[in-house]
Amino acid sequence: MPARSTRAVRSTASRTTAPVRATARRRLAAALALTAATATLIAGCTSGGGGAIDKTAPAHLKGTVSLWHFFTDREAKVVQTAIDGFEKANPDVTVTIHAGQDDEKLQKAISSGQSIDVGLSYTTAIVGSFCSSGAFRDLGPYVKRDKVDLGDIPQAERDYTEYKGTRCTLPVLADVSALMYNKAQFAAAGIAAPPKTLDELKADALKLTTYNADGSIKTLGFNPLIDFYENSPEHWSPMIDGQWLAKDGSSLIGQSEGWKKLLTWQKDFVDEIGYDKLRAFTSGLGQEFSADNAFQTGQVAMQIDGEYRSAFIADQAPDLDYGTAPTPVLDGIGHYGASYVAGNVAGIAKGSKNPELAWALLKYLATDTDTQVALANGLKNTPTLTSALTSPKLEVDENYRTFVDAAANEHTLTSPATTDGAAYLKTFQDAWNDYQEHGGDLTKILKKVDADIDAANQLAGP
Amino acid sequence: MTVSVGMTRRRPSRLLTWIAEHTLLVTIGVLTIAPIVFVISTSLMSSRQALTATLVPNPVDFSSYIRVFTELPLGQWFGNAALYAVLATVFMLVSSVPAAYALAQIRFRGANLIFTAIIVAMLLPPQVTAVPVYVMWSQLHLTGTLWPLILPNLLGDAFSIFLLRQFFLTIPKEYGDAARLDSTGEWGVLTRVVVPMARPGIASAAIFLFFHSWNDYYGPLLYTSENPAAWPVSYGLATFRGQHGTDWSMTMAMTVVIMIPVVVIFFFAQKAFVEGIALTGVKG
Amino acid sequence: MSTATLAAGATATATPSASRRQRTSPDARRRRVALVMLAPALLGLAIFFVYPLIASIFYSFTRYNQLQDPEFVGLLNYRYLFTQDPQIAAAVTNTLWFVVILVPVRIVFALLVAGLLARARAASGFWRTLFYLPALVPPVASVVAFVFLFNPGTGPVNQILRAVGIPGPLWFNDPNWSKPSLVILGVWVMGDMMIIFLAALLEVPRDLYEAASLDGASGIQQVRHITLPTISPVIGFSVVTGVIAALQYFTEAAVASGVASGKATVGGGTGSGLGYPGTSLLTYTQLLYTRGFTSFQFGYASAMAVVLFVITAVLLVLTMRRISIFRAEES
Repeated sequence: MPARSTRAVRSTASRTTAPVRATARRRLAAALALTAATATLIAGCTSGGGGAIDKTAPAHLKGTVSLWHFFTDREAKVVQTAIDGFEKANPDVTVTIHAGQDDEKLQKAISSGQSIDVGLSYTTAIVGSFCSSGAFRDLGPYVKRDKVDLGDIPQAERDYTEYKGTRCTLPVLADVSALMYNKAQFAAAGIAAPPKTLDELKADALKLTTYNADGSIKTLGFNPLIDFYENSPEHWSPMIDGQWLAKDGSSLIGQSEGWKKLLTWQKDFVDEIGYDKLRAFTSGLGQEFSADNAFQTGQVAMQIDGEYRSAFIADQAPDLDYGTAPTPVLDGIGHYGASYVAGNVAGIAKGSKNPELAWALLKYLATDTDTQVALANGLKNTPTLTSALTSPKLEVDENYRTFVDAAANEHTLTSPATTDGAAYLKTFQDAWNDYQEHGGDLTKILKKVDADIDAANQLAGP
Repeated sequence: MTVSVGMTRRRPSRLLTWIAEHTLLVTIGVLTIAPIVFVISTSLMSSRQALTATLVPNPVDFSSYIRVFTELPLGQWFGNAALYAVLATVFMLVSSVPAAYALAQIRFRGANLIFTAIIVAMLLPPQVTAVPVYVMWSQLHLTGTLWPLILPNLLGDAFSIFLLRQFFLTIPKEYGDAARLDSTGEWGVLTRVVVPMARPGIASAAIFLFFHSWNDYYGPLLYTSENPAAWPVSYGLATFRGQHGTDWSMTMAMTVVIMIPVVVIFFFAQKAFVEGIALTGVKG
Repeated sequence: MSTATLAAGATATATPSASRRQRTSPDARRRRVALVMLAPALLGLAIFFVYPLIASIFYSFTRYNQLQDPEFVGLLNYRYLFTQDPQIAAAVTNTLWFVVILVPVRIVFALLVAGLLARARAASGFWRTLFYLPALVPPVASVVAFVFLFNPGTGPVNQILRAVGIPGPLWFNDPNWSKPSLVILGVWVMGDMMIIFLAALLEVPRDLYEAASLDGASGIQQVRHITLPTISPVIGFSVVTGVIAALQYFTEAAVASGVASGKATVGGGTGSGLGYPGTSLLTYTQLLYTRGFTSFQFGYASAMAVVLFVITAVLLVLTMRRISIFRAEES
């Protein structure tokens, strides 16, 4: 775009200018007044949507319903298989799938009112804004009418799928994080068991780190950079039972001793190896979701990752000898065995042309035990129904067991929804990124994080 | 190539000057062309070789081109880009040629105010008006398509009007006056006198808009990012790179493919093009 | 604001036509025809320029996400913009960096190359086409190509540097080098500007040089006293349009961030790779885009738009009268 106005042109000698003409100004004023009136008019007519629903669910489903989701390639095929089951059960229904939808794009399509029926997003961040703005319809009336038992959905998942009492989404599988470790490297370094505390994690990590002749890192025991792959404040929150926001939405991060201790621990760890060395090493690693993932190539011996990694390893690095364990915790603060859970949420878009069909599809994806088991077996995400988590049909091996148990752990955490989405997480992450590189007065930095989050919440509104 | 003859300035070192100048020309020329050479040579490597420290394809491998055409919806991307660029250009001509003519060849009260408004509209960053315009298109349910980028051209394109006006100004008003004496109306003067005389100018305005639309990234990002079926090739390239990680060979093949139509058009219309850039400002 | 700009621009409205106003009916008829010819463009100006400008000002005082009615929040958006937004400092600094560095560097290079072409009598044909060629490359393609060329590990640039014993920087992956890398790209694609300068240089009357030469003026003196003054309006034009373009610097930075970060969400252009590396390529318009079309904070995005408009408008008011090509008076 910018290049555009730079094209052309050459000019001639300057000339004198005539005075401003009153008529021109008057005419302009009239034009402005007219357009201002139009502005108010147009701005005023955007409300609507929602409304009452039918008293009973339709007896026979017929028509076309669209599903937008973000999965690609192998994962998209798993979803397709599940959808095939829905179409088989409802022969007069066609599901149009828009796969590979980047979340940002999904949000844009829904926010601008395009005719999407069911949208499946991988971030719970949209729940706050979509429930309060009506971008996703209120599912309450449907749930009530069809007497859907929400008690089958674990508490944490129930929490992050509604906002201030409005349930506009249902969970469709979740991601739980845990520690993955390379057994061969552990054996070679003489480490018997995965670390349970942060002190052990650091000691093991340093033991597992090897260097090249020029001093650069060859392999890393554990990458402490907070912006590496799945490292993030959220995924690290179980280490210190981390809390985010108070009930009124104001930030608790700066007041928490746990976060402060965790950041201090991380910064010490980074400094012990050297930030520049870590950065140089990290920038040479493969992409997270490619076959070159550093854990899969053996360049990193331990990492915090989601349960889906197992499926990638089975697909891309089947020979890798690895184990899983709960996220290590800071002694006396975190609850060992607990994890951070967040997951896919699905809702019915405001612009849906056929909400009854959309609701039927959503119900099938979110509340049908067999569907959830089939999806979980294919995607290796954790089911979001207790009945599916305990189903004998769920294929649970030793490594996956860690995640299933963590999902059911009573101390497992999530991060609350806000109308500003996950902006507060990003604010925190940005501050942390800066701190791990430049250091500084941690109390002050975290206070600034609180202030920034509170100001952003005010901007985004209730 | 031009050989310097009859240099009027310094005589003692005419040859030395010539050598110095041309050494500089060649150096800059090499630096200018090198990126393109590297892009092409990488596109002819295998994906594996593109990740190694070699600069020359060995052996020459066309598989990246084959993969670009088989694995990507290139036809659709090119089709969308062509639809966008062609329709935008045609619509612009229909609306902007008469407007530019009126501003350049007809004397009437208010012309200058209108011209000034057009200049300001041309120079204003598009982001300034993005939100209300986006809201407008989304109320018309046209987001997710290229129409919000095409249709406005029916209502004139500020830059094109400006450019065309500069061309039309170079045509002496006397030609029009002569026709007017034969009781030809303004529309007649426009179609029978000015348009035939300003053909190169109109061509260059058309090419500018065509290229601008073909290359556009911001517009498709804003309006079509959520709908891959509507992506033009320029936007597709940016996305494609994200999905294909470190496959530089394929990325470079894609880069070459997207450049080809532009370069071909350029070589066919080089004269109109360069004149368009250089001479639009020559007014009476 | 728009009143000020338009009014300032309207200074050029010619007096002669006013005195002629009600003299003859052909005048009125001509005016009618002209307005008919201009009708689509006038409608376009109203719909895509005047109305959105006013609507932006209106939205900037509201909280608005398109799904609910705008809610009046007073100066909240502006207060956040000027005092609280943690990203705004980086966005403004980076944008100004491009204004202050990218614009002059491009102009100087374009002038030097144009001067060389004019001197070497190579103003048309092969050399001109060659130097213009990069400007033809679609911006997205040129950015992708440059990120590859300057790729720290396997890119040709660092390979060549390594071959001559220089350890190359991380270029697009290093916050300190990412902006300079884009300047190199900006210089590479300076063809448009070069052709404008070249045309201007060729218009400088030859006899001026000859006279100066006879008076014993050196080459440098000739450039200073003849060339630069003659083409200064063209340079002025380039500075103004260049600064305005730099204020809205978007595509190159967004694509470079996306491609260099290798994030899978690049297509969005402004997703998780926003400003990568670090916040070094986060520009004002990218932040505006993200706020508006990723977070759907239309009110806040509008406030950012209004501020951008004010800055551009002031710039235009200050410079438009000096750039004669923008003036409307009849010849």
